[in-house]
Amino acid sequence: MNIQTESMLTDEEIEIFQEIMNIAFGKSAADLADVIDTHVVLSVPYIRIMHVSGLQDYFRDHVKDYKNISIVEQKFWGRFKGDALLVFSAGAGRELVNMLQHEEKSGFESDPVDILERETLMEVGNILIGACVGKIAELLKDVITYTPPMIIMEKYSCDAIYDSQYNPDSTAIVLRTDFSFDNGNVSGFLFLVTSQESIKWLKDALRIFIEQYE
Amino acid sequence: MIKKILIVDDSPIARKMLKSCMPDDQGYEFHEAGDGKDGFEKYKDIKPDVTFMDLTMPVMNGYESLEEIIKYDRNALIIVVTADVQIKAIKRCMELGAYMVLKKPLKRDEILSTLLKAQNTLQKAH
Repeated sequence: MNIQTESMLTDEEIEIFQEIMNIAFGKSAADLADVIDTHVVLSVPYIRIMHVSGLQDYFRDHVKDYKNISIVEQKFWGRFKGDALLVFSAGAGRELVNMLQHEEKSGFESDPVDILERETLMEVGNILIGACVGKIAELLKDVITYTPPMIIMEKYSCDAIYDSQYNPDSTAIVLRTDFSFDNGNVSGFLFLVTSQESIKWLKDALRIFIEQYE
Repeated sequence: MIKKILIVDDSPIARKMLKSCMPDDQGYEFHEAGDGKDGFEKYKDIKPDVTFMDLTMPVMNGYESLEEIIKYDRNALIIVVTADVQIKAIKRCMELGAYMVLKKPLKRDEILSTLLKAQNTLQKAH
């Protein structure tokens, strides 16, 4: 990280953003817990500011302990704009199908398992990403539009994470939280990557947010 | 009377936000801790009238800290302040002995009514 990227957000702005993420991730976990009867355990959220060229290595480093992964990707745009990536450990789709089948058995019985897994991962991704990004937008007084969720199944392919929408010479803010279900069968990461273009707006929005507490 | 307030949260900005929601004419004495373990140590040292406790923290999380404090002082008034608003999380906090669970982001009127309620509880206890 060079001096320029470090100075893009001040320490205080990073702390405010971290607290907003904490609230947003909490909301998304609660929304998911409403759908499936489990407790989603969240880590303290992390923020990294880095060059886009370092994104792939960063993701690869975080998923290196997973033999296979499933990724749900959803892009979002408003003043706050970027990519949400929900990375699950392999087998999460099957586990989630089982948990949901337990909840609403009749809806799934006739569908092939791989379609169910995809649909379930996309639905869970949609809930987690939508609630999280939506809450960030709400707290920062933004309005967000989303693409439909896309899935990259059972691949160890961090190349999928790289996105040409970012200028390789620019800077990205990466927000990450680790999650696991309390039954221990599903774990993963939620990454939000936002581009340099959002930073000026973000700084103003963070200032306005914290002013209500001063 | 509530005099000493302990705030346990790993985020300095969250501690600042919480303090800003409290009335500044009550002469409260604020103490802060950055994780659950430090919170438990400070609790024993300070004996606060009211403790505000986050859940997701490094070193020792809020559940563990809450449990330790209640074991140490079963009358402790611990108000959990959390972004984790899952029903199971709230239920677990109450089972561990939390006085109340408040949801982040905090609102001033919610903090004021909580302090008033805690004040009444303390008065009844004495």
